[in-house]
Amino acid sequence: MNIFPESISQIGSEMDKLFWIITAVVGIATVITLFLFIYPIVTRKRNKTKEEMYMVGNSHNKRKWVYIGMMLLFLGDMYILLKEHPIWESVEQTLPEPDFKIVIIGKQWMWNIIYPGPDGKLYTDDDVMAYNELHVPVNKVVHMDIKALDVVHSVFLPQARFKQDALPGRTITRWIKLNKTGEYDISCAEICGTGHSIMRGTMYVEDFNTWEKTMADIYKK
Amino acid sequence: MGTHKKHGFWHRYFFSLDHKDIGFQYLLTAMFMAAFGGFFVYVFRYNLAFGPSDIPLYGDLAAKQYNQLVTNHGAIMIFWVGMPILLAVIGNYLIPIMIGTDDMAFPTLNKISYWIFLLSCIVLLSGFLMPTGAFGGGWTMYPPLSVSDFGYNNPNTTFWSNFFTGNTFFLLAVALEFISMLMGGINFVVTTLNKRAKGMSLMRLPLVVWMVNIANLLFMFSVGPLIAGAFMLLMDILVGTGFFDAYRGGDPILWQHLFWFFGHPEVYVLLLPSIGAVGEIISTFSRKPLFGYKMVILMVIIAAILSLVVWAHHQFVSGIDPGAANIFSLLTIIISIPFAGMVLSYLGTLWKGNIRLEIPMLWALGMLATFTFFGGFTGLHLGSNVFDIYAHDTYFVIAHFHYTLFPTVFLGGFAAFYYWYPKFSGRMMNKTLGLIHFWGTFIFFNTIFIPLFWLGLQGQHRRIYNYSAWNDLLMQPEHIMARQIATVSLIFLLLFQFVFLFNFFYSLKKGKKASKNPWEANTLEWQTDSPPPHGNFDPYPVVQRWPYDYNHPEKELDYCPQTES
Ligand code: HEM
Ligand SMILES: [Cu+2]
Ligand SMILES: [Cu+2]
Repeated sequence: MNIFPESISQIGSEMDKLFWIITAVVGIATVITLFLFIYPIVTRKRNKTKEEMYMVGNSHNKRKWVYIGMMLLFLGDMYILLKEHPIWESVEQTLPEPDFKIVIIGKQWMWNIIYPGPDGKLYTDDDVMAYNELHVPVNKVVHMDIKALDVVHSVFLPQARFKQDALPGRTITRWIKLNKTGEYDISCAEICGTGHSIMRGTMYVEDFNTWEKTMADIYKK
Repeated sequence: MGTHKKHGFWHRYFFSLDHKDIGFQYLLTAMFMAAFGGFFVYVFRYNLAFGPSDIPLYGDLAAKQYNQLVTNHGAIMIFWVGMPILLAVIGNYLIPIMIGTDDMAFPTLNKISYWIFLLSCIVLLSGFLMPTGAFGGGWTMYPPLSVSDFGYNNPNTTFWSNFFTGNTFFLLAVALEFISMLMGGINFVVTTLNKRAKGMSLMRLPLVVWMVNIANLLFMFSVGPLIAGAFMLLMDILVGTGFFDAYRGGDPILWQHLFWFFGHPEVYVLLLPSIGAVGEIISTFSRKPLFGYKMVILMVIIAAILSLVVWAHHQFVSGIDPGAANIFSLLTIIISIPFAGMVLSYLGTLWKGNIRLEIPMLWALGMLATFTFFGGFTGLHLGSNVFDIYAHDTYFVIAHFHYTLFPTVFLGGFAAFYYWYPKFSGRMMNKTLGLIHFWGTFIFFNTIFIPLFWLGLQGQHRRIYNYSAWNDLLMQPEHIMARQIATVSLIFLLLFQFVFLFNFFYSLKKGKKASKNPWEANTLEWQTDSPPPHGNFDPYPVVQRWPYDYNHPEKELDYCPQTES
């Protein structure tokens, strides 16, 4: 049984790895804490003196194990932050030069995709609109201008580990670069009304030649 | 103090000013609402596992109703079950008897607070009777969906047609509930500050009293922005002001900030009283002082303050500035530290204890374990802004926050209930039934939510009526099986609650008579009769020591009541 659906981007695989890093930190903390839970319960019937049991913890010295535990967790926290930050920077805070740009618009309850048309430029008269079908070339940086018409939606590409809310009245530009061809899902991750659960699109990741042909077909129509 | 005279049913359940009666009224009302919250979750989970038609006790479920049930399940469990039980019941019942006084500072305000609470329940449920049905836009009420189903205020509607909608009723119900909780909160804080028995210094207060008060202050600090937001949203709904309408100069994200500025502290508002009660119980049944009492209070205050500045971790991918998201990620992950201090102190209390595994102790240990291992630790996954890109709005989040809220509200709530039941009823609960109830609830709670973690990692997003559109991704046999395991477990979990209900009412009449202090505990409530008379104490107690002198080396017994010199 796999934990994640297949990953189709470099960034996505790094995010999966981050999940396991966090799980490892948490796992170590769990083992230690679990021992502190179970040991006193197992030994609860042993004889102890009142002096032993009257543990108030009213000085720093007596609380040193608590501090040590907090310190260890702090180290774990810092390790997580250290590992995650570069990924966040490259996903969210940088925008590499695009090879291709599209617009994706959420509306109740479908995804409108706008392709740049034969002139290769968005927001010009020859732009072409398609519904629920997104064709992107493999191994290319694709920019997406994410928008919504009516309510908040959220573009969720599970296999690409990508998610961005789509807001009415705003354009948010994000990028993806996918490294596997195939058919993948576009989900809407933000509740958007009665049809929220039928709001699915398909993302086709195609090698460059196939993709060019698909585009030509779309533009002909 | 006055004489103790028996009052009739109407008096006791409707007009009494006695804090114990009001606490009991809150308890019964919250249990009534929990029945709705539980029934809703049964219906929509049944649908997810076995399809929308012919749901036993319900019938067919449509997509729109699914959203309504999910929304109202969430809101009910938080505002109409969690808050009344953990703030109002614990606060009302326990504060006066634990600090050694006769009643609240403002008994009439207390009574009014209950009446408003009852009204809020009625308003919420009548949302289901509106022509367009109950509100179904998620308990977070993100506009523009919460303004109307289509995202804008239709100019053809009138004020009154906008008024009689699920949206308006939902907002009004939440507003009334806040008013009620604020009245209660003021009362608790003033009572604690002004009405303590002689000798009850702040550093001799039982932990749970501290926690209820910190929780109330936190609620008061955080609720203001949401009230402003709720007013704007109400105006958007009723007269189309467009505060959250991007096409008319508004901003939908503004609501998200106002909501979560309240919403994140809110989960701590629930957590603190529960963890406070668990602390009392762990100390009593370990026969040991609460380890690091002062430090726990300090840690909780630090966590409460931090909780006011982490709200945007709910919005990492909502369109906020990605640079700001880094700060929120850092603060969120850091908040684990004070909690670690608190949990370790509790574990220090267990260490070398003569642990008595009575029923309340089982619930308390179960609460602490599930909260820490599954709730707290998965918070680190989600606090990481990178992983949250993927996990946000999936069942990983659902499982995470249920692993914090279910232990808080139900495991901690039951711990408190079983612990103080002898005090408020004068009788002991049946132990065998208690054991059955505990294990049934504890085991099935875990088997509900562990599969949901996995489904979330598989990419199953939330608030979805039917996954058939995601055939390859989410409709494989193992997904269907995981959903069914969760749902069947839920049905068992609900059935085990009938054991509790039976035990509750049966023991009220037939239970073994409880002594004053059946658990051999130190706090003041155990020094008066079970149940305490009207006025609570006669004469008033004088406090000589802090509440945790268990196994004091100079004392012969293994406990030492606060009134003993
Ligand atoms: C009795 C056991 C419970 C079960 C099996 C359960 C199950 C669920 C599930 C499966 C969902 C997600 C539905 C969806 O997104 O389609 C949900 C939503 C939610 N639950 Fe629970 N729940 C339980 C108890 C609680 C408790 C005790 C609380 C809080 C104190 C709570 C608060 C919420 C909230 C706030 C939501 C989100 C509602 C929304 O999406 O608007 N639940 N519950
Ligand atoms: Cu949508
Ligand atoms: Cu949606």
